[in-house]
Amino acid sequence: MKKSNVLIYNIAAVAIGLLISAAMLLFMQIDPIKVIGEAGRKILTDKYTTGEILVKATPLIFTSLAFAFTYQANLFNIGAQGQFYAGSITAVSLSLALGDKVPTWFLLIIVGIGAFASGAFVGALIGLAKAKFSANEFLVSMMSTYVVNAFMDYLLRTVLKETKAEYLQTDPIKKSAYLPKIVNGTRIHLGLILAVLAAVGCYVLLYKTPLGFRIRAVGHNPNAARLGGIKPAKIYVIAFLIAGGLAGLAGLTEINGVQHMLLQNFNSSIGSFGIGIAILANGSPIGCIFASILFGFLNVMGTTMGRLPGLKIPASIIDLIEGIVMTCVIMSYFVRSWADNKAQKRSIRKVGE
Amino acid sequence: MVNFLSRVIIMSTPLLLGSLAEVYAERTGMMICAIEGIFLIGAWGGFVGTYLSGSQVLGLLLAMGCGLAMAALYGLITVYMKQQQVVTGTALQILSAGFCSFFHRVIFGVPITPLQIKTLPKLPIPLLSQIPFIGQILFTQNILTYLAYILIPLSIYVLFHTSLGLTLRSTGENPEAVDVAGINVNRVRFFTVLFAGALGGLAGSFYTVGYLGMFTTGIIGGRGWIAFAICFLGNWNPKGAVLGTLAFGLADAVSVWIQAVGRSEFFPNELIIALPYILTILLTIFRSNFNVPAKLGTPYSKEN
Repeated sequence: MKKSNVLIYNIAAVAIGLLISAAMLLFMQIDPIKVIGEAGRKILTDKYTTGEILVKATPLIFTSLAFAFTYQANLFNIGAQGQFYAGSITAVSLSLALGDKVPTWFLLIIVGIGAFASGAFVGALIGLAKAKFSANEFLVSMMSTYVVNAFMDYLLRTVLKETKAEYLQTDPIKKSAYLPKIVNGTRIHLGLILAVLAAVGCYVLLYKTPLGFRIRAVGHNPNAARLGGIKPAKIYVIAFLIAGGLAGLAGLTEINGVQHMLLQNFNSSIGSFGIGIAILANGSPIGCIFASILFGFLNVMGTTMGRLPGLKIPASIIDLIEGIVMTCVIMSYFVRSWADNKAQKRSIRKVGE
Repeated sequence: MVNFLSRVIIMSTPLLLGSLAEVYAERTGMMICAIEGIFLIGAWGGFVGTYLSGSQVLGLLLAMGCGLAMAALYGLITVYMKQQQVVTGTALQILSAGFCSFFHRVIFGVPITPLQIKTLPKLPIPLLSQIPFIGQILFTQNILTYLAYILIPLSIYVLFHTSLGLTLRSTGENPEAVDVAGINVNRVRFFTVLFAGALGGLAGSFYTVGYLGMFTTGIIGGRGWIAFAICFLGNWNPKGAVLGTLAFGLADAVSVWIQAVGRSEFFPNELIIALPYILTILLTIFRSNFNVPAKLGTPYSKEN
């Protein structure tokens, strides 16, 4: 299979998805072309809004990598949301504790390690359950999100509660604990570079190192891998550990880069969007970057359309668009394999004649 | 106490309906990973149908129809297009969240006060509801709860004592054998998914039509996944599903009770909320006699 083939089908599927979504606007008696044009112009001319695309894409790169990475070992990590929350809890606690007490670069490194470690801890537990007890990792990772969420609610209500004690949120972290901005006039922060590096790192790890080969071998056929001297159980734990850590890092970028505090239920859908993005990217780490930017764009598009005066387009249209696009992409995988099958049969027939 | 236990039953009803839907489908090898989305669209359909027509019956029918439509899309992609069930389910979950909130806005605009519908009336069963204590808890509920009661023995009978049940179970365990017997595996799976979708939609409508009388996009809040988990917890068995459901319903009611009496300062009610999930994880890990349908999650295609 040629690589370009996947890309063409993907682009076509996204385009069809967007067309269907645009048609949905007709239900609101809104002219889609005019509205999308207007929102598009606003996004492209306003530097801050353009930057928001990359701000929104940053955590999505991490959560999509968290799914894509285990996907290579044929495991489903759908608990990225919980691993992200675990990372966020650590990030905010460390930032609150160390803010203004240590130099910024040192604090950020500590927070980064902490966020990675706590996400990795949750991930590794799931991996262990899979490796030691051959538990269904899909179910365990899903349930782990709710447990971490409950734990976070508990902390927000007690230890981490803000001094005003009004809402379920923490105090804002000190300015010195912020991730530095890298583009003036926007909210784009260092986390973006970190995310891109993480994606490239995943690519190198998966395709250029022995460990990556083992992970992919286990994903392809665990029994064959075992005969080849690879221990699938070990790979399960490692894959989940790394995936959890990646999702945990999203905690660093969101707490220290964007929100500057921990709120109840914040960014509550980046876990499930991450899965969609990873699928859109066909499990490729580099693809995750671009697919995340696309979702970041759709996200900003949705909010911008929602803010256009006098139209009252609900911001929730973004969920609709993303759902439709994802469904179209999944269907495109079928269409592609069907077309390939047909082409193959035709060539076999030709040889037969 | 009576109120408390009655609430356990109320909270358990949709979970039981949903997990039974899941039991049927998973016995044929189909995980309904879109169950969260099906719950939501069912809740929405139930609300819209009841609000616009003024008839709860039509509302429930629309809820089933919505669940059915979502399940049909899910079945089309997973059974016939043979795509991954987990990812399809996630996509459809996001789709239905967007669909419901978008079309809710299209139909109702931005109302100043939250729209309300009448909830299903409690129907005390004559005689049985007169039994002291138990009568008020078990037999003074709405029609959907009674439907759930009926479905428990019915499901056990259908799944384990009829040839239809044998076909369903074999489709999940050994689809080749079913195929050789001249039964269309994909059709069995597709229609089971449709049935599960209708049941799941009905379960979702319990939250709007049966209980709260209004709709918000966060109304399901992960309870579809709980139904999914209960199916695992209950070992793909209706009896197990009942036990699992009661565990979750009890936890739900206890945490509400702790909040209501204001004891959350002393005892973390989050622990109670998390308990069923922890229990599910532990059971998944430590139970050795799991009865997983052999071909769960695997698409079937004839070799050609």
